[in-house]
Amino acid sequence: MKTAAIAKKIVQALTVLALAGIFFSLGMWQLDRAQEMSAADKSEAVQDQRVYNLSDLTTSTGALPVGAFGKTVAATGHYIANYKAPNQVALDGSVDDWEVALMQVDSASAILVVRGLWSQRLISPDIVMATEVSITGTIYPHQIEDRALNTSAQISRLDSSLITGTTDLQLYDGFISATSESYRAGIVERARLAMAIPQGGIPGYYWQHISYVVIWWLMAALVLWAPFYRRKED
Amino acid sequence: MKNPMSRYRFMSIACGITLLLLIFVYMPAQHIFDAFDENSRWKYFSFFHGYLYIVYMLTVLQVGVQKGMALKRMALLILAGTIPFASFIAERKIVKEYS
Repeated sequence: MKTAAIAKKIVQALTVLALAGIFFSLGMWQLDRAQEMSAADKSEAVQDQRVYNLSDLTTSTGALPVGAFGKTVAATGHYIANYKAPNQVALDGSVDDWEVALMQVDSASAILVVRGLWSQRLISPDIVMATEVSITGTIYPHQIEDRALNTSAQISRLDSSLITGTTDLQLYDGFISATSESYRAGIVERARLAMAIPQGGIPGYYWQHISYVVIWWLMAALVLWAPFYRRKED
Repeated sequence: MKNPMSRYRFMSIACGITLLLLIFVYMPAQHIFDAFDENSRWKYFSFFHGYLYIVYMLTVLQVGVQKGMALKRMALLILAGTIPFASFIAERKIVKEYS
């Protein structure tokens, strides 16, 4: 009987500790999110001017990291496919059809590149699949909302997942909007496009996450306090 | 609001009202009608309610300990702050029983 009582007490204590641990961990998780959000706000305030290699920021096998959004990248490769991206909205609010190319950057992977307006696609007709092109541009996360129908010649949004079935290459998440393009004949002169950089992937606000921290830790404290609570006898 | 019961009553009503506003006004306006832009001050309303709920929890604990309530009853009162109208009903019951 005594052993059973001790075992019961041990189980109760372990349950309390486990629950308190879970609540404390949830608080820590929210604290991390609040700190990530605070760090992201600070990094947005300081514009990063550095030009990164594509492989420094992301890989073709994973999602584009939030920290890479809006960074300037350089890449070299061959354009292996061209698409029209209708009804795209530029930073200045103008709506146009854009020319998007799939650039093969190594033997196994490729990334979508916004080259410019669809109406200017014939500016450099000597760029063919065999031509090596170097670009510099801004990297963006893939779009979520469709702007048009998806067909073999056009893509409904700037999202490499739409064309995975058309190639054996690994496709990078996100896309680059080229700010400069050069090849053996020189620099390609054409209008370049910029768009709004989406906010990072942490939803909510700093003080919102801090309120969750307070609530979770308060829950942990309550769970630890509960076994010691004794009701007042009437 | 000199005693724990008055504080609990005030907080249960305040928390209940903000919860109703949150669920029946703020959330439809935000998610159905997309009424608030990124910089709108109304965005702070949801976590204003969150902080209010923390204070509500503390007042429940204070009145619960003072009146010698069972842990289960305190847990139910804390839970009542998350269900529309429940905090009003709970407040009436508690006042009737303990005042």
